[in-house]
Amino acid sequence: MILQNLSIKRKLTLITMLTSSLALVLFSASFLIYDLVSFRHLLSQDLMTQAEIIGYNSAGAMEFKDEPAATATLSALTAKEDIVTAVLYKPDGKIFAHYFRSNATRPSYLPSHLQEQSYRFEGGYLEVFHDVTLNGEHLGTLFLQSDLRQWSERAKRYANILIVFVLVSGLFAFFVSSKLQGFISRPILHLEDTMRMVSVNKNYGVRAVKTYGDEIGRLIDGFNTMLSEIQQRDTVLQSTNGELKTRTQELEEEIFHRKQTQEELLNAKHAAEEANRAKSTFLANMSHELRTPLNAIIGYSEMLEEETRDSGKVENVQDLKKIQSAGKHLLALINDVLDLSKIEAGKMGLHLETFEVAQVIEEMVTTLQPAAAKNANSIGVHVEENVNVMRADITKVRQILFNLLSNACKFTDHGTIALNVGQMKIEGKNWIQFQVSDTGIGISAKQKENLFQEFAQADASIARKYGGTGLGLAITHRFVQLMKGKISVESEAGQGATFTVQLPANVVVETTESAPSEGTSNSSVTLPGTKTDLDTILVIDDDPSVRDLMSRFLTKLDFHVVAAANGEEGFRLAKQIRPLLITLDVVMPECDGWTVLNRLKNDSDLAEIPVIMVTVVDNEARGLDLGASNYLIKPVQRDRLAVLVEKHRVARSSTITETSSVPLYVADGQPAHETSRARVSRTRRN
Amino acid sequence: MPTILLVEDNEMNRDMLSRRLQRKGYSVVTAEDGEKGLLLARSEMPDLILMDISLPLMGGWEVTRLLKADDATRHIPIIALTAHAWVTDREKAIEAGCDDYDTKPVEFTRLSEKIENLLAVKK
Repeated sequence: MILQNLSIKRKLTLITMLTSSLALVLFSASFLIYDLVSFRHLLSQDLMTQAEIIGYNSAGAMEFKDEPAATATLSALTAKEDIVTAVLYKPDGKIFAHYFRSNATRPSYLPSHLQEQSYRFEGGYLEVFHDVTLNGEHLGTLFLQSDLRQWSERAKRYANILIVFVLVSGLFAFFVSSKLQGFISRPILHLEDTMRMVSVNKNYGVRAVKTYGDEIGRLIDGFNTMLSEIQQRDTVLQSTNGELKTRTQELEEEIFHRKQTQEELLNAKHAAEEANRAKSTFLANMSHELRTPLNAIIGYSEMLEEETRDSGKVENVQDLKKIQSAGKHLLALINDVLDLSKIEAGKMGLHLETFEVAQVIEEMVTTLQPAAAKNANSIGVHVEENVNVMRADITKVRQILFNLLSNACKFTDHGTIALNVGQMKIEGKNWIQFQVSDTGIGISAKQKENLFQEFAQADASIARKYGGTGLGLAITHRFVQLMKGKISVESEAGQGATFTVQLPANVVVETTESAPSEGTSNSSVTLPGTKTDLDTILVIDDDPSVRDLMSRFLTKLDFHVVAAANGEEGFRLAKQIRPLLITLDVVMPECDGWTVLNRLKNDSDLAEIPVIMVTVVDNEARGLDLGASNYLIKPVQRDRLAVLVEKHRVARSSTITETSSVPLYVADGQPAHETSRARVSRTRRN
Repeated sequence: MPTILLVEDNEMNRDMLSRRLQRKGYSVVTAEDGEKGLLLARSEMPDLILMDISLPLMGGWEVTRLLKADDATRHIPIIALTAHAWVTDREKAIEAGCDDYDTKPVEFTRLSEKIENLLAVKK
């Protein structure tokens, strides 16, 4: 393991060294063995030769039993250091003469019996037996023993040389392999360095340098190609990333700008609403302040006219009539401006009731007879038989007809005015159509363009000749729109005119629109426009028929009704519109009434809003415990509901009155009903 | 000669209306606020009262209610006059016990018709 984790450099060096050392050792060992073996053979030959010489020299001595001569011959062996023992045996095996190297001490070992002429290696010694003969006669045997000193010295010397040689050549191999391994390891290490640089610095621009064309060279090539691809992708990625960042920043900026604009718009809207309220209040005040002196002007001039006529000063009567006429014109103008401002502020509500069309027409014609008679016009009325009753705001229907008919009377001289009333069915709905035709001065194509615009009489000369405020048709147009009807005109200059008004036979008030505020409540003056949620009731019920019924009923009581079909929506709407009060059903899918009630009462913004439970579930105690103000069991008793909602309205408006400095009458102060009646009578007197 | 009590705080309107009523042949008593109107109604026992609604001190509604609650004055017809001309004012007037209702600026012809009608009923 340790070997495996070594660096390439070390590994290469190590492998090279191991290989060369091993080869060296193997070679030297085999050489050494060969040399030692052959040297031993040489030694044995040499010892045999010596034995032959000594045997020859001592043969005479043995022949003559001359022991000292034999011993002297053996003593010559002193020069041979390696010969340890030399013994001359007689043929009977007894020792004749001997030589012991180690100071005449008899060695521990001597061969026990004589052998044939031979040599042997025994116990680290080389032993030789040699027959001593003279002229073919066997005289005895010579035994020589050598301790192989030369051989072991040679072996020792050779071993030392070998060790030194191996060490020196190993060192040399280390130096050489250290130098040479760089050929392989350097490019690899360079590649590694480059890789580390890339991974640490994330710099894909660096490249490894290719030194040789071998496998490593190809590896580097491959690595560089890979780097190039990564770099290319990285560049693309970075540019995409940059684009994304820029785009995100742009989006954020845009969102910020939009938010800012939205805020500005909201502020502007609030400012505009505030200004509109101020305008309404101002107009209401002006109306009151203008009417009081007008009252005196008209009254005194009427009185003076009577007195003057009684005293016979007829020339002054005309002047006084002019004062009256001017006063009434001014009054009509004020009334019209008030009507229009109410419509514009969305404060012109609809008071729907069912009435007989024929009866209204009859009253209208009676009222208009004097106006018709003034220009010697005749009025013809035709009401179709299928026209019976309609449901609409009767006051506004009257005013529409009055405006059209009085215009017809005004612009026609010695002619006829026709009023045709019919009923028709368009797209499954019943419509009542009123058509007013005259034979008067007519309207040119150019004049038609601005016909229904405020303060736009056909042209200035008409105002001089016929008078009028120029608001009549504009108001008529708006009233028709309020009731979701249509108005059109057909006319040519000098050819008379025909105005056609179509109104739904059953006008429906849209509950989602701004609430009508001329309340039937008479305990206090309500303050429409002070706060938009003043008169809003939120109805939360999953049953569409109940929602519809409640909406209609509460709308009739002059509330603005917003309906929610489930608890979740109800809660959201409550937060959004902050209604005056909430009616809440209990049994609803998903989020039931108890849950909604609980959430409403736990929301600091909404907890103050009274909640009336309207349900089939008889559990008043739970409702009141959870914070409901009242508890009604379905089917709802309308009277009871009316009293309850009225009570909450009064409670709310009285708190507002106490805390607000807004005057107690506002633009709504003059209902259309009275305005129109005033106008009817006024015209009658003209 | 029927006597009419005119309760009206605006001096010009009071003057103008009273003179026109006198020209019509009525005897006119005037009061400029609710309290005086109440006192005069009780002392003079007029045949009819014209009551301005927005009065100082005591409002027209309250004077009307007090008069209608009193057995001695209950029979006197009262016509409410208001400059506001709310739809609700008409109902409020009827609720307070007024016998009729008219708006300002007064259409004198129409008002005298109403007066005549109420006086005729009374007779």
